[in-house]
Amino acid sequence: MPVDDRPGDGDGNEATTGTPLISGTNVVKEYQTGGQTIRALKRIDFRIDEADSVAIVGPSGSGKSTLLNLLGLLDVPTSGEIRLRKQDVATLSDSERNRERKQTIGFVFQSYYLIPTLTALENVEMPRMLDRTPKKTRDRATELLERVGLSDRLDHAPDELSGGQKQRVAIARSLINDPELVLADEPTGNLDRDTGDQILDLFEELRAEEGVAVVMVTHDEYVAEAADRVVNLVDGTLRAPDTATRADGGHRDRE
Amino acid sequence: MEGIVTGNSDDRDRSSMSRRRRIAALVPTVLLARRNVSRATARSTLAVVAVVIGVVAVGAIGTGGEAFKQNQVAAYEGFGGTATVHPVVYPEAEDPNRNFSDAEVARMRRAAAGATVIPVVQPFGSLVRTPAGETVVTAQVKGIEDPGTFYETANGSVPENWRRSVIVGSRIAADNDIEPGDQITVVVEDELEGTFPVAAVLRPQGFADPLSADQSVFVPVSRFDDATYDEVIVRVDPSAGSVAGAATAIETEFNSRRRTVSVQQVQQQREQFEQSFETVNQFLIGVGAISLLVAGVTIANTLLMSVIEREGEIGVLRAVGYTRGAVVRMLVAEATILGIIGGVIGVPIALGIGAVINVFLVGDPLAFTRAGLQYVGIGCLFGITTALVAGVYPAWKAANKRPAEAFD
Ligand SMILES: Nc1ncnc2c1ncn2[C@@H]1O[C@H](COP(=O)(O)OP(=O)(O)OP(=O)(O)O)[C@@H](O)[C@H]1O
Ligand SMILES: [Mg+2]
Repeated sequence: MPVDDRPGDGDGNEATTGTPLISGTNVVKEYQTGGQTIRALKRIDFRIDEADSVAIVGPSGSGKSTLLNLLGLLDVPTSGEIRLRKQDVATLSDSERNRERKQTIGFVFQSYYLIPTLTALENVEMPRMLDRTPKKTRDRATELLERVGLSDRLDHAPDELSGGQKQRVAIARSLINDPELVLADEPTGNLDRDTGDQILDLFEELRAEEGVAVVMVTHDEYVAEAADRVVNLVDGTLRAPDTATRADGGHRDRE
Repeated sequence: MEGIVTGNSDDRDRSSMSRRRRIAALVPTVLLARRNVSRATARSTLAVVAVVIGVVAVGAIGTGGEAFKQNQVAAYEGFGGTATVHPVVYPEAEDPNRNFSDAEVARMRRAAAGATVIPVVQPFGSLVRTPAGETVVTAQVKGIEDPGTFYETANGSVPENWRRSVIVGSRIAADNDIEPGDQITVVVEDELEGTFPVAAVLRPQGFADPLSADQSVFVPVSRFDDATYDEVIVRVDPSAGSVAGAATAIETEFNSRRRTVSVQQVQQQREQFEQSFETVNQFLIGVGAISLLVAGVTIANTLLMSVIEREGEIGVLRAVGYTRGAVVRMLVAEATILGIIGGVIGVPIALGIGAVINVFLVGDPLAFTRAGLQYVGIGCLFGITTALVAGVYPAWKAANKRPAEAFD
């Protein structure tokens, strides 16, 4: 697996003991809507390391997606600090964040968001379509689809695929740039238990074999149990989870 | 020295490389855009139809107008060296029907040396009857010395010493089945009445003919008793000189103290026609262009709807590292593709309509003028540009959405 050609990998900097992959201190996120300020995240701290497996659980509206947006550099915190490796993301320009996101982070969504006019293979290639490495991209995309068990579906359009197959295409797409972190918002939300299990197994494999950190938002206790760590978000703050006590997994999430 | 040169070429390499990369990157952008266009087939089709209508409107009005102009201008051909002279009548004048006398015609001949000066009698109260005895109400009887100096005949010929026959214009002949040899009756109140053989039928002259020969029956001027003339035609062979000089000479001769004659050059009428034609044509093309603007609005609307529908998808594009510019380029490419398809369909239709108009007005389907083709090109370009511009706002709007919106 060409995970090893990841830049900076193996120089020891990203080791679990060293710099976290992404970390946050006193992170606050507020939304302004019609003169009203909604505080979606209230001074939270977090830390995600290489090959981490984290489940974010919490009731609806507690700020899970908001947190995922911040982790994915899709949004910036209202206050507080988020560091990608050692870099304060607030100091990055829009296009630098764009580039970091492309190089470092893969995304998987509950509703897949495959492009309906592209085949499975093209959907996987999509994040790299504008790079001028079509051959390399195609090989890698084919390899990833094989890996998620869809080698016989390369030329199928998304609407010719089942939900589970679509999500597997989406996962393959999230891996096309060899990310260090995959963010998934309820990736099994639209799938039945068996299909969901397959997706979870796939994530676990990726983590174990390629050292990809996986952060997953879920409503489902069962899904959360598959993760090494569970982070409980309630009303914009992190709670030590009462059911999954092991969830802190050696990292300290400051309250 | 060598170092500097290498450095320079490196720079150039890099910049040309990045330009090439940018152009190459357009190909997948266009691929994505093309697929997206084919997604909402009905909507895309409607947008394309709007562009087609606009392109056809501008193109067909442009080529059709040019054909009409060609057709009209052709009528002025052959009359380029012609001017008409009319007496100027003042309200207080004793004789409201002042005509030119032989003496005055002679003065004109002298003034406009070298020009052919043809006096014409245009009597009031004339009447023409066909061999069958029907009255031809549209016919105008005109007395002239020798129509052969001015017109070519289609049938028959003007006799050497023309005294006893009449010569008939093309329209009158065609409408009443008159041929050389037929006997027609000509009556001019207080002047003449008689039945004359038709010596010749003239070729069609068109509307620009100052004598309206097509609607006329020419009688030898010697048939009229009093030799006064209602109108004088002045003609200069365009290859020999300009009628403008003759016109000026006559005006100087007659109008030095008071304006007694009015000289009109057919050429000026032609220029006036062309001017007013341009105005009307430009107005019509403007109307056509408005339909292209409507097409632009349709495309903007199509794309806005499509962008709203694809909000999540576009959010994903942004999430996976597509820049704002890349998203804008993709959506603008979608709009431009609609415009190009519209142009590609619209141009042949416009040319087809133009060819049909050409057949009717000029007689040759391929008689496109440069200007006419230019209008088709302008219509097509304008259509594509409108589509492109219409794509900018929805694209910009989509690209500036927060990428976060892909997460529920
Ligand atoms: N773009 C936005 N503008 C304004 N308020 C927002 C926006 N996005 C989220 N919020 C608010 O922030 C809070 C957290 O929302 P978030 O989407 O993070 O919840 P969630 O935990 O993902 O919920 P769910 O499980 O239902 O997806 C909510 O109160 C929500 O209304
Ligand atoms: Mg959510």
